[in-house]
Amino acid sequence: MAHRRCLHSALLHGTALISLKKSPPLSIVNALTPKPNPVITTSNLEPSWFTPWFYVRHFSSRKSDDSENEAEMEDSSDVEEESDEMASDMVRDYSPGEKEAEAAAIGYKVVGPLQRSDRVFKDYEPVFAVVQIGSHQFKVSNGDSIFTERLKFCEVNDKLILNKVLLLGSPTQTIIGRPILPDAAVHAVVEEHALDAKVIIFKKKRRKNYRRTKGHRQELTKLRITYIQGIEKPEIKTDGKPLKAADKKPEKIAAIA
Amino acid sequence: MESELPTFKEKNPQLEVVTELIRGQHPHLKGFYKNKNERVVCVKNMTPEDILLYGTRLRNALGRKVVKLKTRHVTKHPSVQGTWTTDVKF
Repeated sequence: MAHRRCLHSALLHGTALISLKKSPPLSIVNALTPKPNPVITTSNLEPSWFTPWFYVRHFSSRKSDDSENEAEMEDSSDVEEESDEMASDMVRDYSPGEKEAEAAAIGYKVVGPLQRSDRVFKDYEPVFAVVQIGSHQFKVSNGDSIFTERLKFCEVNDKLILNKVLLLGSPTQTIIGRPILPDAAVHAVVEEHALDAKVIIFKKKRRKNYRRTKGHRQELTKLRITYIQGIEKPEIKTDGKPLKAADKKPEKIAAIA
Repeated sequence: MESELPTFKEKNPQLEVVTELIRGQHPHLKGFYKNKNERVVCVKNMTPEDILLYGTRLRNALGRKVVKLKTRHVTKHPSVQGTWTTDVKF
C-alpha cells in the first residue's frame, strides 16, 4: 500500500493500472523501468491524457487510495440531499384521505372513529384469531395486548379493524383461511404510542482502534384487542364449566375456498 | 413553544397543561400519569417543533416503566382449545 502511494506521488501522472497491481517489493524496481517508456512514446498526447487519466483514477475499481476521500465526500453530500428530500416527502405526502387508506391497507388496518363512553372492553370470550400486522403474526384473543411497530395514521384511543385474519378458532370450531379469511375482522383499540427501552449498539474491532456506540429506541404501538368476529362463539352462561369440558375437542372444518 | 401550546391544549382537552417559570434550572417537560408516575424530559436548547414532538410523545405514552419487553404479546388466557401436550390426539 505504501509503495503504491509513493509511486503515485512521484510520477504525478495516471500510472498504468497493471503496474499498481503487482506485489509491492518487486514492483518498485520493475515498474520504474517500463514507466519512462510509455511516457516518452506518448509525450505528445500527455496534455490530453492528463485529464482523462484523473477521471479514470476516480472511477477505477481500486478505491483504496488517496483519491478515495475526495470521491467519498462528493458522493455522501449528494446522498444526504436526496435522503433529506425523500424524508420530507414521506412526512408530507399523506394529506389526502385516500392515500391514508391505501397506506393503511399495506399494514392491514382500517382506522375507525374515536370512541368515547363506548363499552368496548368485554369479558373474555374463548375465541382466538391469528392476525397479521405488517410482517408479524399474532395469535390473539379478547382482551390481549400486542406491541407492533409504530402504526401511522392512528392516534391514541383510536379504533382499528385488522383485516388480515389467517385463522379463527373457538373450543368447538376452527376456520382456516387461504391465506386470509375474507369475512373475518378483529377490532382493536390503540392504547399507546411509545418508545421501547434503549438498545445500545456497540461495535468493536479489537486491536484495530475501531469502536462505535449507537443508541436506538424503537417506536412501538400497543394495541388492545376488543372483539373478534367471523366465528360462532359458544354461549357461556352460569353453567360455563361443564359446557367447556364437553366441547373441548375441536371439530376441524376444512378451509373456506 | 408559545405558538404551539394553544393548539396542543385544544387538541387535548383532557389534559391539564400548566406553564411555570423556573429560575436556576433547565427548562423541562413533566408528565404526570395516572399510575402516579412522573416522566421528566429536559428541553434545554430545543426548537419549538422538537418540544412539541416530546410533548406528544409524553401524551401518547402510558406511565409504565421503560423496560425491555419480555414478549410482544401479553395475554391472560393463552389457550382457547386446550394447551397441547404429547397426549392430545386430534
